[in-house]
Amino acid sequence: MQEILNNQQARINIYALLSRLLMSEPDKTLLETIENDENIMAFFPNYAKWERRNEFNHDELLEQYINVDFTNLFLLHMVPYESFYMREDQMMETAGENPVLQLFNDHDFRVDLGKARAVSVDHIGIELEFMYLLCDSERKALEDGDKASACAIAKIQQKFLKEHLLEWAPMFLLNMKSEAGTALYFDVAEFALEFMLSDYEYLNALIKEDGCDYTV
Amino acid sequence: MYLESRRTFLKGAAFTVAGAAIAKGVFETDAVADSVTSSKFTNTPDSISFYPPVEEWNDFQELDGDDWKRGGIERNGVRSEANPDGIKVNDYTIVPTVCSNCEAGCGLTAWVEKSEFSAGRLNVRKYMGNPLHDGSRGRNCAKGYATLSQMYDPDRIPFPLKRAPGSKRGDGKWIRTTWDEAMATIGKKMHDTLAVGDELSKKSMIYHVGRPNENGFGHRVPHSMGIDGYNSHTNICSAGARQGSIQWANDDRNSPDWKNAELVFLQSSHAADAGHYFQQSAGLIADARKRGAKMVVLDPRLSNSAGIADLWLPVWPGTETALYLYLANRVLHEKDLNGEDLVDHEFVKDWINWDRLMADKDYLQKMVGFDYIKAVPKDDSYESFIEMMKEIYAPFTKEYIAKECKIEGYEYKLDELFDMYINAGNKIATYIWRSGPIAHRGGWMIARSAFLSLALRGALRGDVGGTSWHHWHEISVAGKGEKATVAGERPPKVDVWNEIAWPPEYPLSSYEMSMLMPHLLTDTEWQQKWKKKGLNIPTKLSVWFPRMYNPVWINPDGFRWIEVLKDEKKVELTFNLSPTWSETNWYCDYILPTGLAGERNDQQSTPSKPEQRIEFRQAVIRVAAERMGWKAKDPSRATLEAHMKFGLGEVWEESEFFPNLMVHHVDKDGSLGVRKYWASKKDPSRAVSVPEYFDAAMSLLPKLSETAKKMYPDAEFPVYDYMSVHGAWTEKKNVYKPQEEELKVEGSYLHAHGKKYHKDEVRQDEFGALWVKHGKHEKSVGVEIDGKLHAGFHTLSKKLELYSSWFAEWKWPEYAIPMYPRNEGEYDKMIHLVTQVHHKFMKEDNEFALNTVFRLPYNIHTRSVNSKHLMEISQNHNPVWINTADADRLGIKRGEAIKVEIVDTVSELSSGYFIAMAVPTEATMPGVLANSHHAGRWKLTEAVEIPGFEHKLGVMGIGSPLYEMKNDGKIGSLTPTKGITPRHDIWKFKEFNKDLDNIWWDGLSGSWQNAVAPTHADPIAGNHAWHQKVVITKASATDKIGDITVNYENNFKTYQAWRDKLTRPLEAGDKLRRPQHIKRPAVPLSDKAYAIDIS
Repeated sequence: MQEILNNQQARINIYALLSRLLMSEPDKTLLETIENDENIMAFFPNYAKWERRNEFNHDELLEQYINVDFTNLFLLHMVPYESFYMREDQMMETAGENPVLQLFNDHDFRVDLGKARAVSVDHIGIELEFMYLLCDSERKALEDGDKASACAIAKIQQKFLKEHLLEWAPMFLLNMKSEAGTALYFDVAEFALEFMLSDYEYLNALIKEDGCDYTV
Repeated sequence: MYLESRRTFLKGAAFTVAGAAIAKGVFETDAVADSVTSSKFTNTPDSISFYPPVEEWNDFQELDGDDWKRGGIERNGVRSEANPDGIKVNDYTIVPTVCSNCEAGCGLTAWVEKSEFSAGRLNVRKYMGNPLHDGSRGRNCAKGYATLSQMYDPDRIPFPLKRAPGSKRGDGKWIRTTWDEAMATIGKKMHDTLAVGDELSKKSMIYHVGRPNENGFGHRVPHSMGIDGYNSHTNICSAGARQGSIQWANDDRNSPDWKNAELVFLQSSHAADAGHYFQQSAGLIADARKRGAKMVVLDPRLSNSAGIADLWLPVWPGTETALYLYLANRVLHEKDLNGEDLVDHEFVKDWINWDRLMADKDYLQKMVGFDYIKAVPKDDSYESFIEMMKEIYAPFTKEYIAKECKIEGYEYKLDELFDMYINAGNKIATYIWRSGPIAHRGGWMIARSAFLSLALRGALRGDVGGTSWHHWHEISVAGKGEKATVAGERPPKVDVWNEIAWPPEYPLSSYEMSMLMPHLLTDTEWQQKWKKKGLNIPTKLSVWFPRMYNPVWINPDGFRWIEVLKDEKKVELTFNLSPTWSETNWYCDYILPTGLAGERNDQQSTPSKPEQRIEFRQAVIRVAAERMGWKAKDPSRATLEAHMKFGLGEVWEESEFFPNLMVHHVDKDGSLGVRKYWASKKDPSRAVSVPEYFDAAMSLLPKLSETAKKMYPDAEFPVYDYMSVHGAWTEKKNVYKPQEEELKVEGSYLHAHGKKYHKDEVRQDEFGALWVKHGKHEKSVGVEIDGKLHAGFHTLSKKLELYSSWFAEWKWPEYAIPMYPRNEGEYDKMIHLVTQVHHKFMKEDNEFALNTVFRLPYNIHTRSVNSKHLMEISQNHNPVWINTADADRLGIKRGEAIKVEIVDTVSELSSGYFIAMAVPTEATMPGVLANSHHAGRWKLTEAVEIPGFEHKLGVMGIGSPLYEMKNDGKIGSLTPTKGITPRHDIWKFKEFNKDLDNIWWDGLSGSWQNAVAPTHADPIAGNHAWHQKVVITKASATDKIGDITVNYENNFKTYQAWRDKLTRPLEAGDKLRRPQHIKRPAVPLSDKAYAIDIS
């Protein structure tokens, strides 16, 4: 059981980390957290050997490189919103017709767009945080021994990945990887892409017709 | 790309910090979700509607707009105990009222916040439109929404002010007083004046009303006192156009069916982007154009309307008459593609009084003498009439018009205009109002001629899409609430004639000669002249009381007003019922703060489309409080009590003020016979209340009354209740061709205009008009056409009067049919029809006609200065427009200061000058400058200190710069010394004025050109002809934009010149002051008053 919970915690942590990095600029604390944790740094191989890290302190790195890159990638030149990729007219759907909003509403989730600094709920960072919350809920169900509920939550994750994140996020992340001007965001893009694909495979293996097989 | 193995990702479990510490956490708690689920609100509405159904108005919740900007309920939820950070829910009671910022009377709803009621506060959070108002249809213009900023203007006058004892008018020293003290002092003065009881005492008080925005209550004030003491602002507004309408139809103005027109014909920007009934008309015009209707704008200036028109035709201002007669000429002479006449013979034959013209051989002979026709027609037939008309108007050729109207090189536009005119058939809608008719000597003839071309095409039939007349589309009952009073009936007619309002030089003036009031009061020569001839001319006023008016600023020759108002021997007591600070306030004894749109009680009716509708303006805080169970101690003072209790201040309004003034002060014991008209029938010890009075008045509408009684069967005041809840009522829709309504004949009786006449009482004349006895006179009640009896028009002949016989009899025979000089040689002969700014007067390169009378769409004459947002959007929007070619010739660059000197073309005297900013533009025609006279407000102090009151009262702090004034009785000047600045000093209405530190404008939006302008009283219509001949030069280095210097001694001579050189005064042998069949606003007068005996 502990292994199942460890496995689940890994998913929780990674979705949390990715959602955070893809939603807003890191601050000094987060950079330190990343750099001080070899398990996290393992997911950022290029950042680990990035020369700029030796030349500048964290404030300077943030101010001169990372924040600039974030602005370029998320605010100026790319559009990190599902509706932009999914609608034929490439318009962002900010109102109630957004299917992601409807999905969140169906599950009684409300997004503080002000806090997210997003104009719509289908931002990649928000969708990943949604996955994080689902994983966390699944973990609570597992801790309570309620595998049926945990499985139901896993199915929501699978469906959300299939119908939403994986429908568009790979395109965005590939673009991001190609546009990235810093090693950090190059690694974030690659990490996110690979993790989501891998996690989807995991969920497909987990979910059986008659329930979930947490032994996988 | 490389593939991480799943095992690699399991490292995630070993992160030193858990996901919860890393994630941003943008998803909210369940309380947020619950708050939404348990509320009625949705993130996006199922349908877009600004207004809830009226059934919900009493108690309506709505999410707060400011909070909404935070992202809507899907982000923050709805505020509740469990979700304190959610979107605020406003708890409103929605009270309908009517906008008061122009004449249009568009519906408003005040959204009054209920939550602070128990704490003694009621605030209006927003004003929206009223969807139940059939004219405005839930929409408003910028001025309507400005009502909120006016209501909570930080410089709003908070309580009655009285001129400080020992100070003089104009010193600017004030003390705080109460309404009761003011009423006691004023009431005593009025009582003492009336108690004298002689003729002069009945001419010694004048109620001077600016924008009435109500239908008859104000008339009742002087009428009930038995005095001829009413002055309106009309002769600086629309008296010219009205004269043309009076002559054609004995109606006040025309009334278009914009929505169904094929051609929207506008002279000026009025109706479509400013001016009369603008917002309502503009919406209907937009509907018509969406359907494919064309729009023509005749205007020397490229207004917003002209800019979007299908045809803009700039003609020299004042020559429009010639253009209209050109259209008539072509209609008379040309045929359509099928070879048919363009004249609508059926309509003209039946409904124009051609038969009377053809039968009046004396007049036909006069027409020969005037050289209008070569010989008297051979017979009286219609065919001969048409042939005569062709002869009369033949001189108005395209070649002549092009020259006269200064459109050489653009003659093709005349053909375009004519094609549009003809293609529209009889569906031509127009509103001839300000612009030309008020701007020029002879402006009334512009209206007269415009209606000729419409009449010939049948467009004046008042049918769908055409043009009808105003009184059929308006309901005036505000003066008729007498059933709620002790008297139970209207006051009798008044027996005196006030020469200060109606001088004998202007017997036909459409309205009072109010702009001459200060001149007539000080013109001792004129007074003596008429005294010698036997008239009892007033030489002073005991009480002069303006209401919602600022005559010092808006009238021409403002320094003359100041001189007279400062003279306590000429005007003994003055009080201004004024919602705002104004230049006029400065020279009054009392400033009594009265209500704005949501703080008044008035019945209004706006004839903006072919229907009969009333609106009810009401004091929304009073109504909201009453809905929540509050009751006034004195029902006749409920509005004042509510305003004082719930935080607005000591703001009152006339429909409670005047009844209380009359009942408790002017005529306490009833000995003057005034009290009974204002005392409540229900409780004679007090004044009549608003619900009592207006229920009685509005109950005169049968359908409204029936509906209200069904809806509120147990109510004491069902009609009042209906109007209080709904705000508007349409009594009758689709009012078309009312003149054709057949009169009912029942046995030996004829029913006409709501009355029943025995056939023996009715006399039919040779032209079919039906006459009955009316006192000592006869009046016509219908007309027979082709064997049928019809209601007819409002004229004596019951037909439209191409030929105005009474006008001929009243000394103006040469203008009794539409006419204009037919060549340059006739300019002098017909000088009364030639504008004072005619191009013949422009001799030098720097002499221009100044176009003054266009409105700025977001300004309200003199009532915008208390609205921050209106002032903000109108800054620097009133330069002097000058055609680029003219500017090039004179070397004038954009933004340069120019000196604009006004020179009169009758007296040939200079009035002085104003300094203004020039903007060269193609949007005004060569030779014609444009500068609206609606800007250039001034104040002489920034704030007033009131002894014993802790705060200073700011004066027009968001809209007017500070000026320095000098005047010595002959020369006056004004120069700006300091602009307005951001405000940090306000002490009231702070929560509504959070952005007062964001004032970036200095308030200098123009010069006070009205003061420079001399009066130009049209010798016939009596209106002030606003346009001016000006001479421009570059300003000197010491001149500042905003400076004015006025020679008002010269202006006095100009007033005299226009009067003495141009009028045809009453003289020995004349028996009447004025024709009795035409309207004589506003007090009904007896035969005794009309009678005159000049020695």
